[in-house]
Amino acid sequence: MSGPTETRGLYAWFATVDHKKIGILYLLTALVFFIIGGCEALVMRLQLAGPGADLVSPETFNELFTMHGTTMIFLVVMPVLTGFANYFVPLMIGARDMAFPRLNALGFWLFPFGGFLLHFSLVAGGAPAAGWFAYTPLSETPFSSSLGTDYWIIALLVLGISSVATAINMIATVLTLRATGMSIRRLPLFVWMTFVTAILIILALPVLNASIVMLFIDRQLETHFFTVAGGGNTVMWQHFFWTFGHPEVYILVLPAFGMISEVIPVFSRKPIFGYEFVAASTVAIAVLSFGVWAHHMFAVGLGHTFDLVFVAGSMLIAIPTGVKIFNWIATMWRGSLRFTTAMLYAVAFLIEFVIGGLSGITFAAAPIDWQTTDTYYVVAHFHYVIFGGSAFGILAATHYWFPKITGRLLSERLGKAHFWTMVVGFNLTFFVQHFLGLMGMPRRVFTYPDLPGWGPLNMVSTIGAFLMAASVLMLLVNIVVSLRRGKVAGDNPWEAWTLEWATTSPPDAHNFHEVPPVRGRRPLYDLGHGGASGAPTPEDASEPTLDKNAVCVWSLVASEASFFVILIFAYVFYNANLAGGGPTAASTLDLRTVSIYTACLLSSSFTLWLSERAQDRGDHAGSSRWLAATIALGLIFLVGQAREYIGLWQSGVTLSSNLFATTFFTLTGFHGLHVTAGLVALAIVLGRALAGDFKKRPSSTLRAVGVYWHFVDVVWVVVFTVVYLRAR
Amino acid sequence: MTTFELFALTWKWDPVALGLAAAAPIAYAFARRPHAWPRALCCAAAALTFALALASPIATLADGYLFGAHMLQHLLLVLVIPPLALLALGGAASGSVPSRRRVPTLVAWAMGVGAMWLWHAPALCDAAATSQLVHRVQEGSLLAMGTVFWWPALAPDPARRIAPLAGVVYLFGACVACTILGIAVSLSPVQVCPVYAHPADALGILPTLRGDWGLTPERDQQLGGLLMWVPACLVYLVAILATLRRFYRVGTGAEVSR
Repeated sequence: MSGPTETRGLYAWFATVDHKKIGILYLLTALVFFIIGGCEALVMRLQLAGPGADLVSPETFNELFTMHGTTMIFLVVMPVLTGFANYFVPLMIGARDMAFPRLNALGFWLFPFGGFLLHFSLVAGGAPAAGWFAYTPLSETPFSSSLGTDYWIIALLVLGISSVATAINMIATVLTLRATGMSIRRLPLFVWMTFVTAILIILALPVLNASIVMLFIDRQLETHFFTVAGGGNTVMWQHFFWTFGHPEVYILVLPAFGMISEVIPVFSRKPIFGYEFVAASTVAIAVLSFGVWAHHMFAVGLGHTFDLVFVAGSMLIAIPTGVKIFNWIATMWRGSLRFTTAMLYAVAFLIEFVIGGLSGITFAAAPIDWQTTDTYYVVAHFHYVIFGGSAFGILAATHYWFPKITGRLLSERLGKAHFWTMVVGFNLTFFVQHFLGLMGMPRRVFTYPDLPGWGPLNMVSTIGAFLMAASVLMLLVNIVVSLRRGKVAGDNPWEAWTLEWATTSPPDAHNFHEVPPVRGRRPLYDLGHGGASGAPTPEDASEPTLDKNAVCVWSLVASEASFFVILIFAYVFYNANLAGGGPTAASTLDLRTVSIYTACLLSSSFTLWLSERAQDRGDHAGSSRWLAATIALGLIFLVGQAREYIGLWQSGVTLSSNLFATTFFTLTGFHGLHVTAGLVALAIVLGRALAGDFKKRPSSTLRAVGVYWHFVDVVWVVVFTVVYLRAR
Repeated sequence: MTTFELFALTWKWDPVALGLAAAAPIAYAFARRPHAWPRALCCAAAALTFALALASPIATLADGYLFGAHMLQHLLLVLVIPPLALLALGGAASGSVPSRRRVPTLVAWAMGVGAMWLWHAPALCDAAATSQLVHRVQEGSLLAMGTVFWWPALAPDPARRIAPLAGVVYLFGACVACTILGIAVSLSPVQVCPVYAHPADALGILPTLRGDWGLTPERDQQLGGLLMWVPACLVYLVAILATLRRFYRVGTGAEVSR
């Protein structure tokens, strides 16, 4: 691979694989979407400013809140967090770039593409209007007949793939590219939390992808996953969505926790209090987040037993979150505090997030949830979490890291004016919504009757929203002005301790001339205080030992496993007591012929193993032969699957016949797709092997692709058992 | 029968279980001197939980009455008693030659997950709830598989445990596998163990369970699935946090003094 080529101008931005440029691209693109999503919010607030207004039609209002929610979550907060992670994770661990720079570029370019697809719906017959969680049956064709929801699905699919790609890259970067001495125990907390978030992303996003694929099949191919008409189950959509949706909340907020954990110690002149507790509680939150989604569904009527267990489970999340809050407060305790704009945002984050957390705890109690669900109380709650939490964390990070990215400081005077306008505006907008919600104002209504108190409170909320808009304008002005005339920052304007401040501002293309020695959690502090002298401990010399290809492929396997778990679960659930007539597994599937193709696929794993062994021995010709045999066996399997499909179609079994056929074709079809992808990868490896690529130096490519191929086979073993053997 | 009477009168008094539960701490007291109190407490807790799981009303109800009780027993046998027992044995053989681990990690993991999945195949689940012999086999195998599962995480000799971060992945993976089964059981539209839908009511307690407790067969199954889903995951979570504690202790000097 060639080194970084020096290209200038606009083209350099399009062609770049530099993590810093990609990070900036993420931030700028997200800023554009933030302005779009913010304007949507302002229109909604204008419409709601007084009772009985008719600025926008009800349909437009539905489109506005759907687009606002989708935009802010998928096109603003996630990409901004990814952008900061992209820029700073490699710097903070002393790496030159991400583990896979081109994958990184792909991940980025999919993001504006997804955003474009989502907004293309506007000219293709109307924006999506079913809310950001697109509850069925509202999002099904009979109730949302425009193409908006379809574009919403495709856009989310593209964005989901982008997020997973970047998350895999992030995991590989953190695990394999750390500088000498930067052990996992010493990772800056922002890096640690980004890492944990990346794990959440690779497990949670595929769940969303699988479920929107099912919704898409429902809409386009007239099947019945989520419509009662064909025996489907609408509540299933909610389960699937919140299986993704609850971890998503932590995907949005954990990196912001990380940002706060960087900012507060630096401006308190103290190391973070209880590093281990902050780090471990992050893991606890991540694990718990997968087990408590049903608290979003208390109002569905899941039953007393369900509610009880999830009330208890959800309350538990308050513990690790509380641990973090106390650690941040203890870090500030008796520190010498410097209230820069970044620090002000960090402190505001603590206060606003605690408010959001407390209203969250009230939701965990099912009876209160029943009372307040679908009211403005919910709107207030999640804006305190996502804006008062994530966005305030992001704004703290913006003021903290701007000098590193640009080399110039943001104006503190303008920054503080911006901060106070924002805090006042934010609380005006959303605090009153708690009261509106408790008074019974439902969310997602385009207008409301003139009930006592509703009009004035809504007016306050609208005024607050425009204050926030003014505040955002001040930030934009600050950025533009400071870029030209801001004070030159120097390498380390805040006297911070982590590695990104050891290099120039902005950093060179290759990040560091020399990575400073890492002997603890605060390498630059150690450097200035003689901590780096003296005999190094074994940990000081520790280097990552994992292979990046292996990390990449295992992360991918974990992610794909999550995708298939949902498809397999759907198959089992919908076939458990199939109502009505129509084809079933027992009546249509031919176990004998499928067993033959199955044997081919399974033996292909064996031949691949032989190929790996041959390569280990240095027998490259033998390795290529076995690889070719693997590809041939895989092709036979695909041919077999195609024959089975044709046979089924000829006997009248199609995707829309009934739920058996739907789930069968979806599950085996996606598996076939993965076999095809595996074959393409194997063919590329074979091509490289024949070109003699592996003779020059040892490569883990074959092994990595092999892991994926074995995984596809394992999935088939499960599918074969669940679909074919169980039908006997 | 009231709930109180039910808890007071339906003890199973299984002599084998009670004998084992009594013998284990006595043997432990003789074998391990001097005593380290936290470990001795773990031993006592393990014995007590064992007695509770196999001789208390939990055991009676698990014998064909309540799927939820069966699940509780199941979880105690796999997720509570083995780790407590291993903790009680902790610190035994340090300083010995680091021999190879006898069970490969992946197999141990599969055992732990298999213990959850295998015995909830409808046929096996039914058989265990009706036949005493199968039930004994079930109890034994659950304890054994649980012990194998927890060995890499809590082996008495710390040198034989897996690396802490790998341990987190190991436990998290088990938590996910367990959660998936729990979800499947609690959302399943059909009975996982059909026996529990129509218990042969020899003790005359069914009206209490169905009436006072409100546990219809559907709710009972939901409860069982939910027990496996949320509380079981909390056990893994506690283990994950303990593993992280071990991880952050290494190298800070705390490990050396132990």
